Amino acid sequence: MRRRLLKAVALPGYQVPYASRELPIARGWGTGGLQVTLSLVGPCDCIKVIDQGADDSVNAANLRRFIARMTGVETTTDALQATLIQSRHRIPEERLREGQILVLQVPSPEPLLPVQPDLAKAREMHADADYALMWLSLYEQLVQYGTFTTGAEYPVLVHGRYLMSPSPIPRWDTPMLHQAAHVTLLAAGREKRLYAVPPYTDVYPLEFEDVHFRVESQQGRVCYQTGARHKLMNELPQPDGQVRYQLSDSGYATKLWQHQQGDTVTIGATYYDDAGNFYHRGYLKPDTDPA
Amino acid sequence: MAYVATRGGEQAMRHAEQFFRTLNGPVDTACIRLIQRHMPYLIDRIMGEASLYAPELAALALVQTGGDLYEAVLLLRAYRSTQPRLAYAIPIESEQTLTVRRISAAFQDVPGGQMLGPTLDYSHRLLQTELLDPTQAPPPRVPMPEADTAAPRHYQPVTTWQRLNGLLDAAPEHPPCDPVDIPDVTRQPVTFPAPRAQRLQLLARADTGGLLTLGYAGMNGYGITHPTVNELCLAYADVYLRNPLTGTPFSAGRVRISQAEIVTPFRGGEAQLGLGFAATMGWNEVKVIAAAMLDLEMDGPDPHPAHQEAFVLTHTEAVEASGFCIHYKLPHYVTFQSNLDSLRRAQTQASHRVPATEQNE
Amino acid sequence: MQSVPIDARERRFQAVFSAMLAAFSYPGRLQAPWPAATPCIDACTAIADVLIDLETSFYTPDAELHQRLIRTGARVKPPEQADYQFYPLLSEANLPALQAAPVGSYLYPDHAATLVIGCLFAAGLTLRLQGPGIQSTIEQPIDQLPAAFWTLRTQVIQYPRGWDVFLLDGSRLLGLPRTTHAEIL
Repeated sequence: MRRRLLKAVALPGYQVPYASRELPIARGWGTGGLQVTLSLVGPCDCIKVIDQGADDSVNAANLRRFIARMTGVETTTDALQATLIQSRHRIPEERLREGQILVLQVPSPEPLLPVQPDLAKAREMHADADYALMWLSLYEQLVQYGTFTTGAEYPVLVHGRYLMSPSPIPRWDTPMLHQAAHVTLLAAGREKRLYAVPPYTDVYPLEFEDVHFRVESQQGRVCYQTGARHKLMNELPQPDGQVRYQLSDSGYATKLWQHQQGDTVTIGATYYDDAGNFYHRGYLKPDTDPA
Repeated sequence: MAYVATRGGEQAMRHAEQFFRTLNGPVDTACIRLIQRHMPYLIDRIMGEASLYAPELAALALVQTGGDLYEAVLLLRAYRSTQPRLAYAIPIESEQTLTVRRISAAFQDVPGGQMLGPTLDYSHRLLQTELLDPTQAPPPRVPMPEADTAAPRHYQPVTTWQRLNGLLDAAPEHPPCDPVDIPDVTRQPVTFPAPRAQRLQLLARADTGGLLTLGYAGMNGYGITHPTVNELCLAYADVYLRNPLTGTPFSAGRVRISQAEIVTPFRGGEAQLGLGFAATMGWNEVKVIAAAMLDLEMDGPDPHPAHQEAFVLTHTEAVEASGFCIHYKLPHYVTFQSNLDSLRRAQTQASHRVPATEQNE
Repeated sequence: MQSVPIDARERRFQAVFSAMLAAFSYPGRLQAPWPAATPCIDACTAIADVLIDLETSFYTPDAELHQRLIRTGARVKPPEQADYQFYPLLSEANLPALQAAPVGSYLYPDHAATLVIGCLFAAGLTLRLQGPGIQSTIEQPIDQLPAAFWTLRTQVIQYPRGWDVFLLDGSRLLGLPRTTHAEIL
């Protein structure tokens, strides 16, 4: 595992095969991420585990309980305090810093799967850096629907070479991988593939010169608990047909709420500011859908 | 808020497990022993899929999971991955096994003879409901009659005769190899096309039901062969290790194994018999027959899933398939929300667009 | 809830591995996973303990290190085949070995060698490093490596093929994954 992690960091975005072992957690429930976390954890580490942005989700709580039981390390819900964050499908809203490690759980590591289900052929396409089918599929989306239809798991090109699945993080989180201060390790236990985005590495979503990648619109959404805006929100359907919104990042929400109660908490700088601007200015291009 | 909820979640998880255990009643050593004693074929199936030969642990896994087979296999595999590798067993030839059942459907009789051995094949499938009546005396035990002459312990493989008669290609040469060099699916990632050793290992630990489904699809008309069971064996195999000091081989114990061979003529465009093979730990006939059939067909020229090695071997992986299937129970609301965003955007685009027919007018 | 005790040996492996991962994540930044003034051969051994075991192969031209590494159970292979290669002192004479070391294929660029090379992080040549893990550029003095090593490295690496390097002296460790562009100033 450790040998393969080093290879993964040396080959940004390239899927390194590894022998995933059976763990006392069901396959598909984060065994890949768990193996990475367990191979990294040292006595001074402090772990945060999140699922869909929440520390309190049962699966996150279960993995956290397991890691603490196996290693005896400290746990936290604060993204700033954590040295290692294992996450399913989200990146915290507060900017991660140098030295922090983000481990993302990956259900399907192969970004070419929708256009090439034969994994041996997909590997050849990566070897040739031949991503024509992927571009074609994006173009077809535009023709049929007038917009890119990919939801989460938006494919990205890493270090100008490998097409990579960023795991099913929302598009909102995709830019956070670009020229980040932290290292991101991605692991698929079931598919037995590991890959990485080192710090300060180019990560660009596939987009056309005239039709740009877009993050999920958070326009007009206000967290009903904290009043926060321009962060990724959960949409909560109400019995009367209305909807309310809640911050997806529960660790961040807790700190905002504690701050509002007058507690002393450190809230870090976020990737998106309160007006919705991403911190790497110019990375997200203006809206240019054909219509 | 979130902190409190975190603790609530952990308590809910503990209670959920407690509920499960309470509902299924208390378990003790006696009940584990009983299952181990009376359900050997179930135990064999689990041990085969877990690739861990440990009848007592398999019985424990079954009891601990309330009989959920996939969970039991996962428990055993997780336990297995914590165990160090102590030694490499010495490879044995199939005719070295202590065979208790050996049949061939290809010939009326074969060198060494047809040996039915222990089987329910020719039993009448009638429920013995009288066993449910506590007032009835249990049926008397009928002792196994002794044979006049003991059955052979080892059998000449049917393929030996077929090779002598030019029906099968000569067995591929395999120079003696160090067991260390045999690829091991539990230690190395599998890439396709898989080396033969990995293919046979994956079949040996595959889900019985999954192999049956794909194998049956082949037998039922999606296949290119009419399978003939060349040979089916149930046996005890000695696990030979070397004494670390003297180097002398010794048997560390015996495991139950099943092996099947399937043949079909004109395989691969040759006027020869094609041969498929599978083996597994434990006695599990339906599994090895289906697996041997798939071994023969997996390199098929047509795109049917049962004829694609990667498809068959990936999708019959019991622990991965079941784990991935039940992972959909996990919340996916962030992913779903992201999809909704794209969907709403496409809806907006559609309402802005002029339908093609109007444009033409 | 019970916690599984982790022994001192595993703690040491973990600490060295953490430093190695940091070295590859932030190429050009010096890591210090072992006490200052550790003999280079001991530093090589500490790295080897993390990298090699029964399932891997190694090569080293250093007789003493060779004896130590054999005890890990890893197989000895020539430089054109070995997964992990250790050069406590790299001389011109070793360069043909480096030239032959596996660089992986386009299908499997990870099937490439990792080289562990002794040097001194002082005086000598100054390298300007650039690439993933480096925000703009880093300048690092490196001594006791033949200048031809840098030319060879540039020739060998045809990304994504190429080998990855750990440079170490008695106190510190520096990572040079194949993505790092090195230029002699």
